[in-house]
Amino acid sequence: MPRDLTPSTIENTFVLKALTERIRLDNRSFNQLRDLDISFSSTDYGVVDVKLGRTRVIARISAEITQPYADRPYDGLFIISTEISPMAAPTFEAGRKSEDELVISRIIEKSIRRSGALDTEALCIISGEKCWAVRADVHFLDHDGGLMDAACIAVSAGLLHFRRPDITIVGVGSRREIIVHPITERVPVPLAVLHVPICVTFSFFDVRKASSAIAGLPGKDNTKAEGDDDVEEENDSSTAVLVDATLQEELLRHGYMSVTANTNREICQIQKGGDVAVDVGKLLSCSEAAIMVAEKVTKLINKRLKEDEARRNVGNLLVEARAENDR
Amino acid sequence: MASRIEIYSPEGLRLDGRRWNEVRHFRCAINTHPISSDGSSIIEQGNTKVICNVIGPAEPTLRSRVLPDRVSISVKLVVAPFSTIERRKRPQSDSRIQEMCSSIQHVFEDAVIAHLFPRSQIDVNLYVVAQDGGVLQACINATTLALIDAGVPMYDYVCACTAGMLDREVLLDLNRIEESAMPFLTMATIGGTRKVALLLLEMKVQFDRLESMMAAAMSGCHHIRDLMDNEVRKHGKSRLERGSL
Repeated sequence: MPRDLTPSTIENTFVLKALTERIRLDNRSFNQLRDLDISFSSTDYGVVDVKLGRTRVIARISAEITQPYADRPYDGLFIISTEISPMAAPTFEAGRKSEDELVISRIIEKSIRRSGALDTEALCIISGEKCWAVRADVHFLDHDGGLMDAACIAVSAGLLHFRRPDITIVGVGSRREIIVHPITERVPVPLAVLHVPICVTFSFFDVRKASSAIAGLPGKDNTKAEGDDDVEEENDSSTAVLVDATLQEELLRHGYMSVTANTNREICQIQKGGDVAVDVGKLLSCSEAAIMVAEKVTKLINKRLKEDEARRNVGNLLVEARAENDR
Repeated sequence: MASRIEIYSPEGLRLDGRRWNEVRHFRCAINTHPISSDGSSIIEQGNTKVICNVIGPAEPTLRSRVLPDRVSISVKLVVAPFSTIERRKRPQSDSRIQEMCSSIQHVFEDAVIAHLFPRSQIDVNLYVVAQDGGVLQACINATTLALIDAGVPMYDYVCACTAGMLDREVLLDLNRIEESAMPFLTMATIGGTRKVALLLLEMKVQFDRLESMMAAAMSGCHHIRDLMDNEVRKHGKSRLERGSL
């Protein structure tokens, strides 16, 4: 039985009143991301643990050989599974897709699969017969807001970290055989990742709605709203924009927009749901902010990848053992 | 195939002879199903045809959906199997359809003056009879007109339009072939304002091109708003003249 996560009225009014005074409960600025920690498994390739504040997500990338689709003989398969279990939060039901789950899985699909982050043509082994099927399983361990963002970072980092076994094709024609070399025999091969999509969610708070919710509270004048000077736009202070909302802020927000960007200054997808209508200039500046966040996060991912590489590659043996070297 | 079809000729003409900033032929009718629903509309944008029926505000069917302070809107979208070139049955559980329903529901939850009807429900039923690109935008426009016909108080029209970017050219209101050939976005605005109720981009696009796409989509939305407004006023006048209300 899924439990509702509605916060109490007194919590609502407290958070909204703080927002009208430009204070977030965890003392971040409106544009600030929470602490992001990315760690890779030291034993397996392609297992990533992402902690975004208190939200925790684990992604596991695996690959197996299978038959390609009949209408796409030159492409491999890439499947992303984002089933949320009640482990993340009591509001999710195992096996049944709530609306939030649907939104999260669609956005991850669009951000990573449809934008072509993974080159599926490189996964083809024998066209029409054999190809790699790469599978990304995302496990949501803790829900404190930003599940989409954390999942996207986890899958992107996982794709960069994962190594598939090296293969050789022997024989010709119909007598062809694929030999899959275990990691002990040959150095595994990285996937062809074309770009690193990073999803950023912006939460909108309609200051007028917030003010009416807290109007009548004793204290100083609650209905005055200050100008929005963090995000550049033209004189529109009626909507406050928060980057990377915690669960409490997510439950109280009046609207959201999730933008996926990469370091090539490309926007992979934008989804601004309904709820509060926002001025178009603000949406544009949010997209630009998303690009800057994508750059920061990609830098962090690459840094962690290098550290992981250094840990595994003691004495630089991997470089010597690579199959591409001359024999 | 795409290289044989000239999406945008050097003279500035598209496949159907439109210029870059022309929307498709827009036809709409209100109160098309007066017996079976409280409000109804049919919209034709080019070859895309969508029928919308609205029932409500009424007693809610599911107790769990009841909201104590506002009306709840439930959207059902049925895409006819004959709506595309290839006949294909689409189950209700198709995630694309569910996503569209959820988007439309959220758009109108904010556009309708919801606090006037607490503990009530408005049912929106959409039928996509023919698809030629711009299905979500047609659904949103049809819903706006049907809600107006049902007499549901709204703050303003909600108008939607698509805009795409082919190399450096912005194209407005794409059809099916154009949609599969370039990145495009769907935008819904609140009437003639700059406020955006819905923005959906599903293919990669360079950030610098985004602004012109959004500007074009916005002007398309405003144009469609005027077209819808004309039809609503015409319909209102004819009802007054007939004497029935």
